[in-house]
Amino acid sequence: MKSNRSLLPVTLARVAWPALLLCAICLGFIPRGFAAEKTETSPWSIQVEPVQAEEGQLPPDFSMAVYEDLIEQLVKTNKFRQVYRSGDHQADRVPNLLVLRMTLLNFERGNETARAVTTVKGATKVQVHLKVSPRDGKVLVEKDVQGTVRFFGENLKATVALAKDIAKTLGETSFPEPAKAAGQ
Amino acid sequence: MPTVRGNTRSCISLLLYRRATYGLRTLAPALLLVSLFCTSLYAQTATDTSSGASGVRAMHVLGLSGVKRNVHGTLTAQASGLNFAAKGAHGTVPIASIQDIFTGQDSRQVGGKVLTVAKIGVPYGGGRVLSLFSHEKVDSLTLEYRDANGALHGTVFSMPLGQAAVLKKQLVALGAHVSIPVESAPEKKEAGGNKQ
Repeated sequence: MKSNRSLLPVTLARVAWPALLLCAICLGFIPRGFAAEKTETSPWSIQVEPVQAEEGQLPPDFSMAVYEDLIEQLVKTNKFRQVYRSGDHQADRVPNLLVLRMTLLNFERGNETARAVTTVKGATKVQVHLKVSPRDGKVLVEKDVQGTVRFFGENLKATVALAKDIAKTLGETSFPEPAKAAGQ
Repeated sequence: MPTVRGNTRSCISLLLYRRATYGLRTLAPALLLVSLFCTSLYAQTATDTSSGASGVRAMHVLGLSGVKRNVHGTLTAQASGLNFAAKGAHGTVPIASIQDIFTGQDSRQVGGKVLTVAKIGVPYGGGRVLSLFSHEKVDSLTLEYRDANGALHGTVFSMPLGQAAVLKKQLVALGAHVSIPVESAPEKKEAGGNKQ
């Protein structure tokens, strides 16, 4: 009996670990659920323009990845009535349209192998300057945003991080009523 | 009695320690062998994905509507357009809608999540050593195209080395629009920081 008692902490530890893990997972998911409920659809629609960069500064696969990832993330936020792509003729008829423009500030192409071997080297970074404005109105949002992949994953994951950050920024922004924005 | 209890505890802890170290000692080479085997297996499958007469084995990275990300399939240049066919998914980019085609190179770790987890499990930093040998160079093919409404789309494919230029040539021959001629494409695109 005594030996059983001495093994009790070991047994408890074995049971406690999965239970703690389960709790951590639940706690991680619950706030996300609440955050998703909080997002309200604004009366605005948004049109995304591709990243503006000097020739040769941003590889085309990264440029397209930022553009496509951003559209995907903006749709996920449910913040905007409609998310339009660059050059979409349907956006011409939309009255309350915001235009999202990005200018490249910095791009560092890392190396996945260097990341896997050293952990501290080989990070991929994409930094852009973000501007959101109505068609002919004042700039409503202006911010520098960066996407980085430091440890695991391919270089293009930096664009996903960047897109998520931009979508989060816009999701948290309270845009003015369309009439007020036009009057400014 | 307290001495007996203390002895029992120390015996148990010693046994547990011995068991753990013995397990680690036996597991370490086994894990290393398994990881090496996985690496060679994945490298082999990666090199096997050469182009045949029917098309090029490629991975859809992003952008093609109706096809999930990181899906492996076959990429074919046809008169109708660039077709990507995978298990349960199919996508086409019409030739006339293509605005530009870019090729590039990148280096990536092979083995996916499975090998990444296995590498983490290898003790004494063996996973890092494995990472040195478990990478491959790949070509990337990026297409810019517009749909019927004039909306800009972009799609990126990843494929074995040397295949992107071949596909680009085929697409240009079929009438696709490009801003950079096929011959000088790799040199110009290297300017974006392609150092791998």
